[in-house]
Amino acid sequence: MKKEKYMIELDNVSMMFNLDIDKGFSLKQWFVDSLSIKKLKERKKIKKENQFWALKDINLKVKKGEVIGLIGPNGAGKSTLLKIVAGVMKPTNGTVKVRGTVCPMIELGAGFDMDLTARENVYLNGAVMGYNRDFIEKRFKEIIDFAELWDFIDVPLKNFSSGMVARLAFSIATLVDPEVLIVDEILSVGDIAFQEKSKAKMMEMINGGTTVLFVSHSIDSIRDLCNRAIWLNKGRIVNVGSTNSICHKYLNSVSGGIVNEKKHK
Amino acid sequence: MIANVIRNLKKYSFLLNQLISRDFKVKYKRSVLGVLWSLLYPVLTMSVMAVVFSNVFKFSTPGINYLVYLLSGLVMFNYFSEASNLAMSSVVANFSLINKVYIPKWIFPLSKCLFVGINFLLTLIPLYAVIILTGTEITWLHLLLPYAVICLFMFTLGVSLILSTIAVFLRDIYYIYGVIVMFMMYLTPIMYDINILDSWMIPILKLNPMYNYINFARMIIIYRQMPSIESWVACFISSVLVLAFGVFLFKKKQDKFIYYV
Repeated sequence: MKKEKYMIELDNVSMMFNLDIDKGFSLKQWFVDSLSIKKLKERKKIKKENQFWALKDINLKVKKGEVIGLIGPNGAGKSTLLKIVAGVMKPTNGTVKVRGTVCPMIELGAGFDMDLTARENVYLNGAVMGYNRDFIEKRFKEIIDFAELWDFIDVPLKNFSSGMVARLAFSIATLVDPEVLIVDEILSVGDIAFQEKSKAKMMEMINGGTTVLFVSHSIDSIRDLCNRAIWLNKGRIVNVGSTNSICHKYLNSVSGGIVNEKKHK
Repeated sequence: MIANVIRNLKKYSFLLNQLISRDFKVKYKRSVLGVLWSLLYPVLTMSVMAVVFSNVFKFSTPGINYLVYLLSGLVMFNYFSEASNLAMSSVVANFSLINKVYIPKWIFPLSKCLFVGINFLLTLIPLYAVIILTGTEITWLHLLLPYAVICLFMFTLGVSLILSTIAVFLRDIYYIYGVIVMFMMYLTPIMYDINILDSWMIPILKLNPMYNYINFARMIIIYRQMPSIESWVACFISSVLVLAFGVFLFKKKQDKFIYYV
Protein backbone atom coordinates (compact mmCIF):
# COMPACT_ATOMS: atom_id res chain seq x y z
CA MET A 1 0.00 0.00 0.00
CA LYS A 2 1.09 3.49 -0.68
CA LYS A 3 1.75 5.74 2.22
CA GLU A 4 -0.33 8.55 0.98
CA LYS A 5 -3.96 8.07 0.13
CA TYR A 6 -5.14 9.94 -2.88
CA MET A 7 -8.76 10.95 -3.12
CA ILE A 8 -8.76 11.04 -6.89
CA GLU A 9 -6.42 9.05 -9.07
CA LEU A 10 -6.49 9.25 -12.85
CA ASP A 11 -4.09 6.98 -14.63
CA ASN A 12 -3.49 7.53 -18.33
CA VAL A 13 -7.08 8.51 -18.90
CA SER A 14 -8.16 9.11 -22.49
CA MET A 15 -11.59 9.81 -23.79
CA MET A 16 -12.55 9.37 -27.39
CA PHE A 17 -15.75 10.56 -28.99
CA ASN A 18 -16.90 9.32 -32.32
CA LEU A 19 -18.14 12.24 -34.34
CA ASP A 20 -19.93 9.90 -36.73
CA ILE A 21 -22.53 8.97 -34.17
CA ASP A 22 -24.57 12.11 -34.48
CA LYS A 23 -24.65 11.96 -38.24
CA GLY A 24 -26.98 9.08 -37.78
CA PHE A 25 -27.43 6.12 -40.00
CA SER A 26 -29.19 6.45 -43.27
CA LEU A 27 -30.38 3.43 -45.15
CA LYS A 28 -29.81 5.11 -48.51
CA GLN A 29 -26.23 6.06 -47.71
CA TRP A 30 -25.54 2.58 -46.47
CA PHE A 31 -26.68 1.07 -49.76
CA VAL A 32 -24.69 3.53 -51.83
CA ASP A 33 -21.58 2.97 -49.75
CA SER A 34 -21.72 -0.78 -49.69
CA LEU A 35 -22.17 -0.96 -53.45
CA SER A 36 -18.97 0.85 -54.26
CA ILE A 37 -15.81 -1.02 -53.30
CA LYS A 38 -13.72 1.97 -54.16
CA LYS A 39 -15.06 3.77 -51.16
CA LEU A 40 -13.98 1.08 -48.76
CA LYS A 41 -10.51 2.51 -48.23
CA GLU A 42 -11.87 5.98 -48.09
CA ARG A 43 -14.33 5.04 -45.42
CA LYS A 44 -11.66 3.60 -43.19
CA LYS A 45 -9.75 6.83 -43.45
CA ILE A 46 -12.82 8.87 -42.62
CA LYS A 47 -13.52 6.68 -39.65
CA LYS A 48 -10.17 7.53 -38.19
CA GLU A 49 -10.56 11.21 -38.91
CA ASN A 50 -13.83 11.30 -37.09
CA GLN A 51 -12.34 10.18 -33.83
CA PHE A 52 -12.12 13.09 -31.49
CA TRP A 53 -9.97 12.76 -28.42
CA ALA A 54 -11.52 14.98 -25.80
CA LEU A 55 -8.90 13.85 -23.30
CA LYS A 56 -5.56 12.25 -23.99
CA ASP A 57 -3.28 10.57 -21.45
CA ILE A 58 -4.34 12.46 -18.39
CA ASN A 59 -2.50 11.59 -15.20
CA LEU A 60 -3.70 13.26 -12.05
CA LYS A 61 -3.44 12.54 -8.36
CA VAL A 62 -5.35 14.63 -5.87
CA LYS A 63 -4.72 14.49 -2.15
CA LYS A 64 -7.33 14.94 0.52
CA GLY A 65 -8.25 18.57 1.09
CA GLU A 66 -6.70 19.84 -2.10
CA VAL A 67 -8.62 22.32 -4.20
CA ILE A 68 -7.76 21.93 -7.84
CA GLY A 69 -8.70 24.53 -10.40
CA LEU A 70 -9.07 23.51 -14.03
CA ILE A 71 -8.55 26.22 -16.60
CA GLY A 72 -8.37 26.27 -20.34
CA PRO A 73 -10.27 27.49 -23.37
CA ASN A 74 -13.69 26.17 -24.40
CA GLY A 75 -13.50 22.60 -25.59
CA ALA A 76 -10.29 21.86 -23.73
CA GLY A 77 -11.87 18.85 -22.04
CA LYS A 78 -12.50 20.34 -18.60
CA SER A 79 -16.11 19.26 -18.30
CA THR A 80 -15.35 15.85 -19.78
CA LEU A 81 -12.72 15.38 -17.09
CA LEU A 82 -15.23 16.29 -14.39
CA LYS A 83 -17.78 13.90 -15.83
CA ILE A 84 -15.28 11.08 -15.80
CA VAL A 85 -14.41 11.73 -12.17
CA ALA A 86 -18.12 11.94 -11.32
CA GLY A 87 -18.68 8.52 -12.88
CA VAL A 88 -21.09 9.81 -15.50
CA MET A 89 -18.81 8.66 -18.30
CA LYS A 90 -16.38 5.81 -18.51
CA PRO A 91 -13.04 6.66 -20.10
CA THR A 92 -12.05 4.97 -23.35
CA ASN A 93 -8.64 4.08 -21.89
CA GLY A 94 -7.06 4.33 -18.47
CA THR A 95 -8.36 3.94 -14.97
CA VAL A 96 -10.17 6.23 -12.58
CA LYS A 97 -10.23 5.80 -8.83
CA VAL A 98 -12.23 8.07 -6.58
CA ARG A 99 -12.47 7.56 -2.85
CA GLY A 100 -15.30 8.74 -0.66
CA THR A 101 -18.64 10.30 -1.46
CA VAL A 102 -18.71 12.39 -4.58
CA CYS A 103 -21.02 15.33 -5.03
CA PRO A 104 -21.19 16.38 -8.66
CA MET A 105 -22.34 19.92 -9.30
CA ILE A 106 -21.86 19.70 -13.00
CA GLU A 107 -25.12 21.20 -14.00
CA LEU A 108 -27.31 22.46 -11.24
CA GLY A 109 -30.84 21.28 -11.18
CA ALA A 110 -30.35 18.31 -13.45
CA GLY A 111 -33.28 16.19 -12.46
CA PHE A 112 -35.59 19.00 -11.50
CA ASP A 113 -39.08 18.50 -12.76
CA MET A 114 -40.53 21.84 -13.73
CA ASP A 115 -44.08 20.66 -13.11
CA LEU A 116 -43.41 19.84 -9.48
CA THR A 117 -43.24 22.29 -6.61
CA ALA A 118 -40.04 23.36 -4.88
CA ARG A 119 -40.83 21.07 -1.96
CA GLU A 120 -41.35 18.05 -4.19
CA ASN A 121 -38.23 18.83 -6.15
CA VAL A 122 -36.09 18.94 -3.03
CA TYR A 123 -37.04 15.34 -2.36
CA LEU A 124 -36.70 14.26 -5.97
CA ASN A 125 -33.34 15.90 -6.46
CA GLY A 126 -32.10 14.69 -3.10
CA ALA A 127 -33.01 11.17 -4.12
CA VAL A 128 -31.19 11.62 -7.42
CA MET A 129 -28.08 12.58 -5.49
CA GLY A 130 -28.43 9.41 -3.46
CA TYR A 131 -29.80 10.62 -0.12
CA ASN A 132 -32.62 8.96 1.74
CA ARG A 133 -35.86 10.43 3.01
CA ASP A 134 -34.84 10.87 6.66
CA PHE A 135 -31.74 12.72 5.69
CA ILE A 136 -33.54 15.14 3.40
CA GLU A 137 -36.30 15.72 5.91
CA LYS A 138 -33.75 16.66 8.53
CA ARG A 139 -31.99 19.07 6.21
CA PHE A 140 -35.12 20.41 4.55
CA LYS A 141 -35.34 23.57 6.65
CA GLU A 142 -31.66 24.27 6.14
CA ILE A 143 -32.00 23.96 2.37
CA ILE A 144 -34.92 26.33 2.05
CA ASP A 145 -33.35 28.73 4.55
CA PHE A 146 -30.21 28.89 2.48
CA ALA A 147 -32.11 29.32 -0.79
CA GLU A 148 -34.42 31.87 0.87
CA LEU A 149 -37.41 30.42 -0.87
CA TRP A 150 -39.91 29.87 1.96
CA ASP A 151 -42.49 32.08 0.21
CA PHE A 152 -42.51 29.91 -2.90
CA ILE A 153 -42.16 26.50 -1.36
CA ASP A 154 -45.37 25.12 -2.91
CA VAL A 155 -45.09 26.83 -6.27
CA PRO A 156 -44.23 24.72 -9.34
CA LEU A 157 -40.70 25.35 -10.54
CA LYS A 158 -41.85 26.43 -13.98
CA ASN A 159 -43.04 29.66 -12.39
CA PHE A 160 -39.65 30.35 -10.79
CA SER A 161 -37.16 32.77 -12.22
CA SER A 162 -33.98 31.10 -13.44
CA GLY A 163 -32.06 32.62 -10.55
CA MET A 164 -34.46 31.12 -8.04
CA VAL A 165 -34.14 27.69 -9.64
CA ALA A 166 -30.38 27.97 -9.48
CA ARG A 167 -30.49 29.00 -5.82
CA LEU A 168 -32.60 26.01 -4.93
CA ALA A 169 -30.29 23.72 -6.88
CA PHE A 170 -27.19 25.08 -5.20
CA SER A 171 -28.74 24.68 -1.77
CA ILE A 172 -29.62 21.06 -2.41
CA ALA A 173 -26.27 20.27 -3.96
CA THR A 174 -24.38 21.55 -0.95
CA LEU A 175 -26.62 20.09 1.71
CA VAL A 176 -24.01 17.57 2.73
CA ASP A 177 -20.33 17.85 3.17
CA PRO A 178 -19.19 15.43 0.52
CA GLU A 179 -15.63 14.19 0.54
CA VAL A 180 -15.12 15.06 -3.09
CA LEU A 181 -16.87 18.02 -4.64
CA ILE A 182 -16.97 18.50 -8.39
CA VAL A 183 -17.91 21.98 -9.45
CA ASP A 184 -18.50 23.29 -12.94
CA GLU A 185 -19.00 27.05 -13.24
CA ILE A 186 -21.68 27.53 -10.68
CA LEU A 187 -20.52 30.34 -8.50
CA SER A 188 -22.15 32.79 -10.85
CA VAL A 189 -25.53 31.72 -9.63
CA GLY A 190 -28.28 34.06 -8.50
CA ASP A 191 -27.95 37.73 -7.61
CA ILE A 192 -24.88 39.37 -6.08
CA ALA A 193 -25.94 38.67 -2.52
CA PHE A 194 -26.46 35.00 -3.27
CA GLN A 195 -23.17 34.81 -5.15
CA GLU A 196 -21.36 36.01 -2.06
CA LYS A 197 -23.29 33.56 0.06
CA SER A 198 -22.55 30.61 -2.20
CA LYS A 199 -18.89 31.53 -2.34
CA ALA A 200 -18.78 31.64 1.45
CA LYS A 201 -20.45 28.25 1.57
CA MET A 202 -17.84 26.86 -0.80
CA MET A 203 -15.06 28.28 1.36
CA GLU A 204 -16.64 26.68 4.40
CA MET A 205 -16.69 23.30 2.67
CA ILE A 206 -13.11 23.68 1.52
CA ASN A 207 -11.95 24.60 5.00
CA GLY A 208 -13.78 21.55 6.28
CA GLY A 209 -11.36 19.37 4.33
CA THR A 210 -13.39 18.65 1.24
CA THR A 211 -11.41 17.80 -1.87
CA VAL A 212 -12.56 19.95 -4.74
CA LEU A 213 -12.24 19.84 -8.51
CA PHE A 214 -13.25 23.21 -9.79
CA VAL A 215 -13.80 24.47 -13.32
CA SER A 216 -14.21 28.14 -13.95
CA HIS A 217 -13.49 30.78 -16.53
CA SER A 218 -13.25 33.33 -13.77
CA ILE A 219 -9.54 33.43 -12.99
CA ASP A 220 -10.37 35.43 -9.88
CA SER A 221 -12.46 32.62 -8.43
CA ILE A 222 -9.73 30.13 -9.21
CA ARG A 223 -7.16 32.31 -7.46
CA ASP A 224 -9.39 32.79 -4.44
CA LEU A 225 -10.30 29.16 -3.95
CA CYS A 226 -7.68 26.84 -5.36
CA ASN A 227 -4.28 25.80 -4.15
CA ARG A 228 -3.28 24.04 -7.35
CA ALA A 229 -4.21 24.67 -10.94
CA ILE A 230 -4.23 22.55 -14.04
CA TRP A 231 -4.16 24.09 -17.46
CA LEU A 232 -5.84 21.96 -20.09
CA ASN A 233 -5.77 22.49 -23.81
CA LYS A 234 -7.10 20.20 -26.54
CA GLY A 235 -7.46 17.33 -24.13
CA ARG A 236 -3.94 17.43 -22.78
CA ILE A 237 -2.47 18.86 -19.64
CA VAL A 238 -0.36 21.84 -20.63
CA ASN A 239 0.91 22.72 -17.20
CA VAL A 240 0.35 21.92 -13.55
CA GLY A 241 1.49 23.96 -10.61
CA SER A 242 0.66 26.60 -8.05
CA THR A 243 -2.43 28.58 -8.82
CA ASN A 244 -0.70 31.91 -9.27
CA SER A 245 1.97 30.81 -11.69
CA ILE A 246 -0.40 28.74 -13.82
CA CYS A 247 -3.00 31.48 -13.96
CA HIS A 248 -0.31 33.95 -14.91
CA LYS A 249 1.01 31.74 -17.69
CA TYR A 250 -2.46 31.00 -18.93
CA LEU A 251 -3.46 34.64 -19.08
CA ASN A 252 -0.23 35.49 -20.88
CA SER A 253 -0.86 32.85 -23.48
CA VAL A 254 -4.32 34.16 -24.17
CA SER A 255 -3.59 37.11 -26.44
CA GLY A 256 -2.66 40.16 -24.43
CA GLY A 257 -2.92 38.75 -20.96
CA ILE A 258 -2.67 42.18 -19.42
CA VAL A 259 -5.97 43.23 -20.90
CA ASN A 260 -7.65 40.22 -19.40
CA GLU A 261 -6.19 40.74 -15.99
CA LYS A 262 -7.30 44.33 -15.96
CA LYS A 263 -10.79 43.29 -16.88
CA HIS A 264 -11.00 40.96 -13.96
CA LYS A 265 -9.98 43.64 -11.52
CA MET B 1 -25.27 -11.65 -7.90
CA ILE B 2 -28.73 -11.67 -6.36
CA ALA B 3 -27.33 -10.19 -3.15
CA ASN B 4 -25.85 -7.45 -5.26
CA VAL B 5 -29.19 -6.75 -6.90
CA ILE B 6 -30.95 -6.54 -3.54
CA ARG B 7 -28.32 -4.22 -2.10
CA ASN B 8 -28.63 -1.91 -5.08
CA LEU B 9 -32.40 -1.96 -4.89
CA LYS B 10 -32.21 -1.01 -1.24
CA LYS B 11 -29.75 1.76 -1.92
CA TYR B 12 -31.89 3.28 -4.64
CA SER B 13 -35.31 2.46 -3.23
CA PHE B 14 -35.93 6.06 -2.23
CA LEU B 15 -35.04 7.32 -5.69
CA LEU B 16 -37.34 4.69 -7.17
CA ASN B 17 -40.05 5.81 -4.81
CA GLN B 18 -39.55 9.46 -5.79
CA LEU B 19 -39.56 8.71 -9.52
CA ILE B 20 -42.80 6.79 -9.21
CA SER B 21 -44.49 9.45 -7.12
CA ARG B 22 -43.33 12.06 -9.61
CA ASP B 23 -45.03 10.11 -12.37
CA PHE B 24 -48.25 10.12 -10.40
CA LYS B 25 -48.04 13.81 -9.56
CA VAL B 26 -47.26 14.86 -13.10
CA LYS B 27 -49.85 12.56 -14.61
CA TYR B 28 -52.71 13.91 -12.56
CA LYS B 29 -51.70 17.54 -12.34
CA ARG B 30 -54.66 19.84 -12.97
CA SER B 31 -57.17 17.04 -13.19
CA VAL B 32 -60.19 17.33 -10.93
CA LEU B 33 -60.55 13.64 -10.24
CA GLY B 34 -56.81 13.04 -9.91
CA VAL B 35 -55.73 9.55 -8.97
CA LEU B 36 -59.34 8.44 -9.25
CA TRP B 37 -58.70 8.33 -12.99
CA SER B 38 -56.42 5.35 -12.44
CA LEU B 39 -59.55 3.52 -11.44
CA LEU B 40 -62.07 5.19 -13.68
CA TYR B 41 -60.16 5.13 -16.95
CA PRO B 42 -59.70 1.37 -17.19
CA VAL B 43 -63.29 0.83 -16.07
CA LEU B 44 -64.58 3.08 -18.83
CA THR B 45 -62.35 1.73 -21.59
CA MET B 46 -63.09 -1.83 -20.59
CA SER B 47 -66.81 -1.08 -20.57
CA VAL B 48 -66.57 0.24 -24.09
CA MET B 49 -64.74 -2.87 -25.24
CA ALA B 50 -67.18 -5.12 -23.43
CA VAL B 51 -70.14 -3.43 -25.07
CA VAL B 52 -68.56 -3.43 -28.51
CA PHE B 53 -67.37 -7.00 -28.50
CA SER B 54 -70.32 -8.67 -26.85
CA ASN B 55 -73.11 -6.68 -28.48
CA VAL B 56 -71.80 -5.35 -31.76
CA PHE B 57 -69.47 -8.16 -32.83
CA LYS B 58 -71.40 -10.76 -30.86
CA PHE B 59 -68.31 -12.41 -29.46
CA SER B 60 -69.07 -14.93 -26.82
CA THR B 61 -67.48 -17.78 -24.95
CA PRO B 62 -69.91 -20.64 -24.55
CA GLY B 63 -70.41 -21.84 -21.01
CA ILE B 64 -68.56 -19.04 -19.27
CA ASN B 65 -69.11 -15.39 -18.65
CA TYR B 66 -67.76 -13.35 -21.55
CA LEU B 67 -67.29 -10.18 -19.52
CA VAL B 68 -65.01 -11.88 -16.98
CA TYR B 69 -63.17 -13.60 -19.81
CA LEU B 70 -62.56 -10.33 -21.64
CA LEU B 71 -61.61 -8.25 -18.61
CA SER B 72 -59.16 -10.75 -17.13
CA GLY B 73 -57.24 -10.80 -20.40
CA LEU B 74 -57.52 -7.11 -21.01
CA VAL B 75 -56.25 -6.07 -17.58
CA MET B 76 -53.10 -8.13 -18.03
CA PHE B 77 -52.44 -7.16 -21.61
CA ASN B 78 -53.00 -3.48 -20.87
CA TYR B 79 -50.40 -3.66 -18.14
CA PHE B 80 -47.88 -5.15 -20.52
CA SER B 81 -48.47 -2.75 -23.38
CA GLU B 82 -48.64 0.40 -21.27
CA ALA B 83 -45.61 -0.41 -19.12
CA SER B 84 -43.39 -1.48 -21.99
CA ASN B 85 -44.39 1.55 -24.03
CA LEU B 86 -43.60 3.99 -21.23
CA ALA B 87 -40.38 2.21 -20.33
CA MET B 88 -39.21 2.21 -23.93
CA SER B 89 -38.68 5.98 -23.94
CA SER B 90 -37.68 6.25 -20.27
CA VAL B 91 -33.92 6.17 -20.75
CA VAL B 92 -34.01 8.61 -23.64
CA ALA B 93 -36.36 10.95 -21.78
CA ASN B 94 -34.13 11.10 -18.72
CA PHE B 95 -30.98 11.79 -20.64
CA SER B 96 -30.42 15.15 -18.95
CA LEU B 97 -30.09 13.27 -15.67
CA ILE B 98 -27.92 10.47 -16.98
CA ASN B 99 -25.57 12.99 -18.48
CA LYS B 100 -24.99 14.90 -15.26
CA VAL B 101 -25.25 12.62 -12.28
CA TYR B 102 -24.34 9.02 -11.79
CA ILE B 103 -27.55 7.03 -11.39
CA PRO B 104 -27.97 3.39 -12.31
CA LYS B 105 -29.77 3.56 -15.62
CA TRP B 106 -31.94 0.51 -15.07
CA ILE B 107 -33.86 2.54 -12.55
CA PHE B 108 -35.83 4.30 -15.30
CA PRO B 109 -37.41 1.29 -17.02
CA LEU B 110 -37.92 -0.34 -13.63
CA SER B 111 -39.71 2.70 -12.22
CA LYS B 112 -42.06 2.78 -15.21
CA CYS B 113 -42.89 -0.91 -14.82
CA LEU B 114 -43.65 -0.34 -11.13
CA PHE B 115 -45.62 2.84 -11.77
CA VAL B 116 -47.89 1.11 -14.26
CA GLY B 117 -47.91 -1.85 -11.85
CA ILE B 118 -49.60 0.26 -9.22
CA ASN B 119 -52.21 1.26 -11.76
CA PHE B 120 -52.58 -2.40 -12.61
CA LEU B 121 -53.30 -3.29 -8.99
CA LEU B 122 -55.97 -0.60 -8.96
CA THR B 123 -57.64 -2.09 -12.02
CA LEU B 124 -58.00 -5.34 -10.10
CA ILE B 125 -60.74 -3.60 -8.11
CA PRO B 126 -63.12 -3.25 -11.05
CA LEU B 127 -62.08 -6.72 -12.25
CA TYR B 128 -63.05 -8.29 -8.94
CA ALA B 129 -66.22 -6.22 -8.84
CA VAL B 130 -67.21 -7.77 -12.15
CA ILE B 131 -66.24 -11.25 -10.95
CA ILE B 132 -68.45 -10.87 -7.91
CA LEU B 133 -71.34 -9.17 -9.71
CA THR B 134 -71.48 -11.86 -12.39
CA GLY B 135 -71.64 -14.49 -9.69
CA THR B 136 -68.36 -16.16 -10.59
CA GLU B 137 -67.25 -18.19 -7.63
CA ILE B 138 -63.98 -17.17 -5.94
CA THR B 139 -61.97 -20.12 -4.70
CA TRP B 140 -58.81 -20.50 -2.65
CA LEU B 141 -56.99 -20.98 -5.96
CA HIS B 142 -57.04 -17.19 -6.31
CA LEU B 143 -54.11 -17.22 -3.91
CA LEU B 144 -52.03 -18.58 -6.79
CA LEU B 145 -52.74 -15.56 -9.00
CA PRO B 146 -49.72 -13.58 -7.76
CA TYR B 147 -47.58 -16.16 -9.56
CA ALA B 148 -49.04 -15.10 -12.90
CA VAL B 149 -48.67 -11.45 -11.95
CA ILE B 150 -45.01 -11.87 -10.98
CA CYS B 151 -44.28 -13.71 -14.23
CA LEU B 152 -46.10 -10.98 -16.15
CA PHE B 153 -44.04 -8.35 -14.34
CA MET B 154 -40.73 -10.08 -15.03
CA PHE B 155 -41.62 -10.55 -18.68
CA THR B 156 -42.66 -6.92 -19.01
CA LEU B 157 -39.51 -5.70 -17.28
CA GLY B 158 -37.38 -7.84 -19.57
CA VAL B 159 -39.10 -6.48 -22.67
CA SER B 160 -38.79 -2.95 -21.25
CA LEU B 161 -35.04 -3.31 -20.74
CA ILE B 162 -34.63 -4.58 -24.30
CA LEU B 163 -36.78 -1.81 -25.77
CA SER B 164 -35.19 1.02 -23.80
CA THR B 165 -31.76 -0.17 -24.92
CA ILE B 166 -32.79 -0.33 -28.56
CA ALA B 167 -34.51 3.05 -28.34
CA VAL B 168 -31.22 4.71 -27.43
CA PHE B 169 -29.59 3.59 -30.65
CA LEU B 170 -32.54 3.38 -32.98
CA ARG B 171 -35.46 5.71 -32.46
CA ASP B 172 -37.39 3.90 -35.21
CA ILE B 173 -38.30 1.33 -32.58
CA TYR B 174 -41.10 3.59 -31.29
CA TYR B 175 -43.01 3.03 -34.50
CA ILE B 176 -41.97 -0.54 -35.02
CA TYR B 177 -42.99 -1.49 -31.51
CA GLY B 178 -46.40 0.14 -31.91
CA VAL B 179 -47.06 -2.27 -34.75
CA ILE B 180 -45.65 -5.21 -32.81
CA VAL B 181 -47.89 -4.53 -29.81
CA MET B 182 -50.91 -4.30 -32.03
CA PHE B 183 -50.00 -7.59 -33.64
CA MET B 184 -49.40 -9.18 -30.26
CA MET B 185 -52.75 -7.97 -29.02
CA TYR B 186 -54.56 -9.84 -31.79
CA LEU B 187 -52.30 -12.82 -31.34
CA THR B 188 -53.38 -13.04 -27.74
CA PRO B 189 -56.84 -14.42 -27.12
CA ILE B 190 -58.13 -11.44 -25.20
CA MET B 191 -61.52 -10.86 -26.78
CA TYR B 192 -61.92 -14.14 -28.62
CA ASP B 193 -61.85 -17.75 -27.57
CA ILE B 194 -58.76 -19.60 -28.71
CA ASN B 195 -60.95 -22.50 -29.89
CA ILE B 196 -62.51 -20.44 -32.68
CA LEU B 197 -59.14 -20.47 -34.46
CA ASP B 198 -57.97 -23.06 -36.97
CA SER B 199 -56.19 -25.82 -35.12
CA TRP B 200 -52.82 -25.15 -36.78
CA MET B 201 -52.73 -21.68 -35.24
CA ILE B 202 -53.13 -22.79 -31.65
CA PRO B 203 -49.54 -24.02 -31.11
CA ILE B 204 -48.23 -20.74 -32.53
CA LEU B 205 -50.38 -18.78 -30.12
CA LYS B 206 -49.12 -20.80 -27.23
CA LEU B 207 -45.60 -19.59 -27.97
CA ASN B 208 -46.75 -16.11 -27.09
CA PRO B 209 -45.75 -15.51 -23.45
CA MET B 210 -48.73 -13.23 -22.89
CA TYR B 211 -51.03 -16.12 -23.76
CA ASN B 212 -49.46 -18.20 -21.02
CA TYR B 213 -49.91 -15.64 -18.25
CA ILE B 214 -53.45 -14.82 -19.24
CA ASN B 215 -54.32 -18.47 -19.63
CA PHE B 216 -52.90 -19.22 -16.18
CA ALA B 217 -55.03 -16.49 -14.61
CA ARG B 218 -58.17 -17.51 -16.50
CA MET B 219 -57.75 -21.13 -15.49
CA ILE B 220 -58.07 -20.01 -11.90
CA ILE B 221 -60.60 -17.20 -12.19
CA ILE B 222 -62.99 -18.65 -14.73
CA TYR B 223 -62.52 -22.40 -14.78
CA ARG B 224 -61.68 -22.65 -11.05
CA GLN B 225 -59.05 -25.26 -11.86
CA MET B 226 -55.45 -25.73 -10.89
CA PRO B 227 -53.35 -24.68 -13.90
CA SER B 228 -51.50 -27.55 -15.54
CA ILE B 229 -47.83 -28.24 -14.93
CA GLU B 230 -47.07 -27.12 -18.48
CA SER B 231 -48.74 -23.82 -17.76
CA TRP B 232 -46.65 -23.26 -14.63
CA VAL B 233 -43.48 -24.14 -16.47
CA ALA B 234 -44.30 -22.09 -19.57
CA CYS B 235 -44.94 -18.99 -17.45
CA PHE B 236 -41.72 -19.45 -15.52
CA ILE B 237 -39.44 -20.17 -18.45
CA SER B 238 -40.75 -17.44 -20.73
CA SER B 239 -40.53 -14.73 -18.10
CA VAL B 240 -37.13 -15.71 -16.73
CA LEU B 241 -35.61 -16.07 -20.19
CA VAL B 242 -36.87 -12.71 -21.41
CA LEU B 243 -35.83 -10.96 -18.21
CA ALA B 244 -32.38 -12.54 -18.28
CA PHE B 245 -31.88 -11.49 -21.89
CA GLY B 246 -33.09 -7.97 -21.09
CA VAL B 247 -30.70 -7.62 -18.16
CA PHE B 248 -27.83 -9.00 -20.23
CA LEU B 249 -28.45 -6.63 -23.14
CA PHE B 250 -29.00 -3.57 -20.97
CA LYS B 251 -25.90 -4.23 -18.90
CA LYS B 252 -23.79 -4.76 -21.95
CA LYS B 253 -24.85 -1.58 -23.67
CA GLN B 254 -25.49 0.86 -20.84
CA ASP B 255 -22.03 2.45 -20.84
CA LYS B 256 -22.53 3.43 -24.46
CA PHE B 257 -25.87 5.16 -23.88
CA ILE B 258 -24.28 8.47 -23.12
CA TYR B 259 -22.80 8.86 -26.61
CA TYR B 260 -25.99 8.15 -28.46
CA VAL B 261 -28.83 9.83 -26.70
